[in-house]
Amino acid sequence: MDFATLAAQLNAGTILPEGIVITTLLVVLVGDLIVGRSSNRWTPYVAIAGLLGAIVALYYQWDLSDPISFLGSFNSDALSIVFRGIIALSAAVTVLMSIRYVEQSGTSLAEFIVILMTATVGGMFLAGADELVTIYVALETLSISSYLLTGYMKRDPRSNEAALKYLLIGAASSAIFLYGVSLLYGLSGGETRLSVITTNIAANNVDQSIGVVIALVFVIAGIAFKIAAVPFHQWTPDVYEGSPTPVVAFLSVGSKAAGFVLAVRLLVSAFPLVSEQWHFVLTALALLSMILGNVVALAQTSMKRLLAYSSIGQAGFVMIGLIIGTEAGYASMIFYLLVYLFMNLGGFACVILFSLRTGTDEISEYSGLYQKDPLLTLALSICLLSLGGIPPLAGFFGKLYLFWAGWQAGAYWLVLVGLMTSVVSIYYYIRVVKMMVVKEADEMSESVKNYPASDWNLEGMRPLQVSLIVTLVATSLAGILSNPLFALANGSVEKTPLLQSSLNTAQTALVDQSVATSSTPAPL
Amino acid sequence: MNIADGVQVVSFAVLALMMLGAALGVVLLNNIVYSAFLLGLVFISISGLYILLNAGFVAAAQVLIYVGAVNVLILFGIMLVNKRQPFAPVRSAWLSKVATAVVCLGIFALLGTMVLATPWQLSTEAIAGDGALVKIGLHFFSDFLLPFELASVLLLMALIGAIVLARREYLPDELEEETVLTLPERPRELTSSGSRSNP
Amino acid sequence: MNPGIDLQGSFIQILTDFGLSAGAAKVLWLPLPMLLMLISATVGVLVTTWLERKISAAAQQRIGPEFAGPLGTLIPVADGLKLLVKEDIIPAKADPWLFTLGPTLVVVPVFLSYLIVPFGQNLLVTDLSIGIFLWIALSSIAPIGLLMSGYASNNKYALLGGLRAAAQSISYELPLALSVLAVVMMSNSLSTVDIVNQQAGYGILGWNVWRQPLGFLIFWIAALAECERLPFDLPEAEEELVAGYQTEYAGMKFALFYLGSYVNLVLSALLFAVLYLGGWSFPIPVEAIAAWLNISETTPWLQVVTGTLGIVMTVFKAYLLVFLAILLRWTVPRVRIDQLLDLGWKFLLPVSLVNLLLTAALKLAFPVAFGG
Repeated sequence: MDFATLAAQLNAGTILPEGIVITTLLVVLVGDLIVGRSSNRWTPYVAIAGLLGAIVALYYQWDLSDPISFLGSFNSDALSIVFRGIIALSAAVTVLMSIRYVEQSGTSLAEFIVILMTATVGGMFLAGADELVTIYVALETLSISSYLLTGYMKRDPRSNEAALKYLLIGAASSAIFLYGVSLLYGLSGGETRLSVITTNIAANNVDQSIGVVIALVFVIAGIAFKIAAVPFHQWTPDVYEGSPTPVVAFLSVGSKAAGFVLAVRLLVSAFPLVSEQWHFVLTALALLSMILGNVVALAQTSMKRLLAYSSIGQAGFVMIGLIIGTEAGYASMIFYLLVYLFMNLGGFACVILFSLRTGTDEISEYSGLYQKDPLLTLALSICLLSLGGIPPLAGFFGKLYLFWAGWQAGAYWLVLVGLMTSVVSIYYYIRVVKMMVVKEADEMSESVKNYPASDWNLEGMRPLQVSLIVTLVATSLAGILSNPLFALANGSVEKTPLLQSSLNTAQTALVDQSVATSSTPAPL
Repeated sequence: MNIADGVQVVSFAVLALMMLGAALGVVLLNNIVYSAFLLGLVFISISGLYILLNAGFVAAAQVLIYVGAVNVLILFGIMLVNKRQPFAPVRSAWLSKVATAVVCLGIFALLGTMVLATPWQLSTEAIAGDGALVKIGLHFFSDFLLPFELASVLLLMALIGAIVLARREYLPDELEEETVLTLPERPRELTSSGSRSNP
Repeated sequence: MNPGIDLQGSFIQILTDFGLSAGAAKVLWLPLPMLLMLISATVGVLVTTWLERKISAAAQQRIGPEFAGPLGTLIPVADGLKLLVKEDIIPAKADPWLFTLGPTLVVVPVFLSYLIVPFGQNLLVTDLSIGIFLWIALSSIAPIGLLMSGYASNNKYALLGGLRAAAQSISYELPLALSVLAVVMMSNSLSTVDIVNQQAGYGILGWNVWRQPLGFLIFWIAALAECERLPFDLPEAEEELVAGYQTEYAGMKFALFYLGSYVNLVLSALLFAVLYLGGWSFPIPVEAIAAWLNISETTPWLQVVTGTLGIVMTVFKAYLLVFLAILLRWTVPRVRIDQLLDLGWKFLLPVSLVNLLLTAALKLAFPVAFGG
């Protein structure tokens, strides 16, 4: 195969968005190297421009006729486009929020942005990776950058601790994932492309083998770590509490979205033969996540830990859409992730702003904030209420769609548990809101009493304000004006051949699964 | 059985025993330096297995990367921070050890059964042997091009990250907004200007 | 290409004629070249130490060893005997196992690397397809031995020396490997025999040293650093570290370090000759001379002459480089540790990367001259 034919076969245009991000990353890196510290004034905006450029490029790929590229390594179908968009958008908003934060912590901004963008690139490639080696390399790119970001505030012992925990648990989970993936490689007789693996396994008559089930369990362990599903969630609270808050914002949205798309692609395309088993395992994970995440969140005193447990619970909700596996299920999952992007990032923007002004993340310190900073109170309240699912905010419609799709598909238990845990979650979200709004002036916390005057003119505060307003507006309006998002979510499911072809088999599996959940667990 | 086969069987047995023994030593020994050195032995034994499998290049790469780079780095890390402090013995530590052993043996039994029970499909392609290097190169630049190039981004970022974590910290001397904003991530004793805002 | 002498083929042929099976004949043959190589490497070290003493003396206008044998040629033997009969001391609080294992781990990979050094078309232990890569891989084991002996000595100088030695070895491994890679790229093979053959044909003009002016400098600097020769002998810098990781060693274990460092020097010189100076080839191609004199290439006596000439040429080139290394020792001052690492990481590594890219570009542009 000579160079020209190879170049023609690669269909390299599909990774244009990632190319834009990588180019921007290099521009930031080299620019900072040449100009020095004064480059802090423009590098974040270059990065944001690059990320938004990537989203524009993704938009133009929506109607791609031939999404398979790099000889089967990468699949730029509509599903991947939506998820790549979510990841890039979350990275862009994270950059906005992090400028002041990173400056204030006395670490260098350009490297932070570069590592964050590398994580974004890893996540975006993961969203479209259609082959085991690509999946693994992309997953590692995302993970290793996340470890680095977690430990970025290296003078802060909490950040060090978080990074070490994340690294060790992450390395272990990635090793387990790799073992599962290599089992797949072996069972399929040396094949790495996801679409071929299933046919090979079926053709090789190993589909009844225990090996497939073990591969499935190991792969799910790796994925569940990325999306922080119980019982693979232990790292989440500590890492969320210790790492820099913008990083947590990215981890809770971008990294999680990458985990979900990996789950969809890998489970749907490589494990249809054991679909009953993976539905069962995922159902268990979703139930545990919803219950444990939301119940333990009740007892938290730190805002970041609260959001950590809430994000575990939210992951459980999203998994409902994946488990039911209907068209509405996938669409509701994508819709909820889109909404979750705005409300969760908005929540973290508020936490960043508050900790910048007071230097603390404790929930009790928020009391009486309404008297001093109405804007922050409003934004945080809206985001938290939306996370809890109060109408008419975006989160309500997201949950409504998810539960409706679940009910339609007959996953009654999942939906019931989801509803009950939502009620629990509303309690702890409202507790924070109440603390901010209701308290009298004499009940103010020390931090709020010393609250500095709002000064948006400091360097890096404007972007934070912009991110706050954008997420606030999106969270408030995305519910009422949700048609474009609905159309996007539904369209992406309709246009993805992988999901369409799996819908039939998923329907039959669904019946088994609902039987399994309502009566006795299916034998593993 | 001719001489070549006999040599192969014997070398396999020796290598496997060496690898298992060294791996157990890595896990069970109390002295972390011994564990690190034995890890090197594990890697070398694995590379010996690669040689038995006719994969000379992979074997040499294994030695170069795992023994020459990874293991040396681990040893560096251990020796540079090796504070010999006596750890207080944990009471009823044997319980967790037994539990770990049971879990490990269980997983081993499970995986062993799986390996034996699965009808593995052997690849029908001819063994590459000495031509392996060329084949690897061809794969890198055709169907594995994307992961190969992505790995370069990964390595670049790992390099930057390592430097960021290892370098001496730069602390800007004047941050005039110090009075307005604070962060717990920036301990006060490290900020150079003496202004302090909120206790 | 002229096959030259095939000792292995003839040996097995003779034995099978006596009625042995081919496999048994091969088994009988196998240890011979290894043993021969082991002996010649050790003898090479003896010669090198003698040269070191003599040339150092000449550089300092002394006479050097004089009384032990003609021109003091027996002095290395005396050295060896002394080290052999010396008491073998293991310090009281040292770790006896690691303390013993350390020197072995340093020496064994170096001797193993002699597997791939060719003295003629068929005059080498084995022509591996991964050839030169084996040397790079094996030489990366040595730092483990250094760290081990540094740690086991239970002595701060030894530990520091061991850490320094390992750091130095790792740092210079990279430019070394990259400059070798440039040569490999030109010859399309990792095999040392192929690398030499690719340089043959135009005599001295075809040698890689002309095509890799940057590469051979980098290689030589990095090789000196790998061998811990002055100006890079920081691990044992006696002003700072007493004697580095060797501080606590005596007797045979010290002799192993000593042997290892000289064997490594000779090995590096041999591989330099192979990679850049055309290996066993004569400055004027032997085939061309034979053609002028109208002698057939397959004439037996010519083959013997060619084989001998090949060995002589390889060894001569190698010892020329050893001579250069000894001269450098008395010419250049020792660098500091930070300068050493700066040179490795900030200068040699980028330059060798540029060299690699340049070679690749030239290979694409002029496939005739740079191995298409």
